Amino acid sequence: MSAFDHYLHDVLLRAADEARRDGSATTDAHHLLLALAADPARQPDVAARLLAAAGLDRDAVRAALDREFEHSLRAVGVSPGAHGLSAPTPSGERPRLGASSKLAMERGFTAVRKKDLTSAHLLLGVLSAELGTVPRALALAGVDRAGLAHRARAAAGQQAADD
Amino acid sequence: MPLDDTPLPADPADALAAVAALRRLADRLEDAAVEQAMRAGWSWPQVSEALGVTRQAVHKKHAKRLIAGGVTLRRRGE
Repeated sequence: MSAFDHYLHDVLLRAADEARRDGSATTDAHHLLLALAADPARQPDVAARLLAAAGLDRDAVRAALDREFEHSLRAVGVSPGAHGLSAPTPSGERPRLGASSKLAMERGFTAVRKKDLTSAHLLLGVLSAELGTVPRALALAGVDRAGLAHRARAAAGQQAADD
Repeated sequence: MPLDDTPLPADPADALAAVAALRRLADRLEDAAVEQAMRAGWSWPQVSEALGVTRQAVHKKHAKRLIAGGVTLRRRGE
């Protein structure tokens, strides 16, 4: 396996943990974003540094996602904390890869030679979504997603290819 | 809340995001509610009938998680 394969494997495991903690049967793009963001437990890579520079460490991403969840529920008159049941035991099953994660990887990895792939490509793929939970959460948190995607693209070395 | 009173957000993006968020909330609520019932000694047939789904479906979805969580599950006929 290449260094990137190992890296991707680790990110997907962390994202799956985030999904499980969320009680989600699928690992979605927002779980990838959580897994990409800086976390005191490990050395920050390029993606984590780009996110941190935009004020997004793992907890800030989590807060932005919670806010989007509550905001979207309130739009149909539902209060997220209303049921008052205790938190369920997380599933022991490995979550499946969700449609939004697959899209993020397609978008980030297309037309890039495998040996050139980096964490910035994965971040770029996640940030490329114009619809869905990730762009909504970032917009609500006041993050300039397009600017961040631009910096991720530059870091990924795709600048020349896209211009 | 009657369905007619449910406000449909004017922006399709908000309406669709609400659907996604409600599904997530319903999944979480199901996990918590099934666990609560099983800890209170409900049987799989009771939980599945209350949810309106088959016993196989509810068992497949929740059994491993509840066993891992230390919930004592009732065997058939107990």
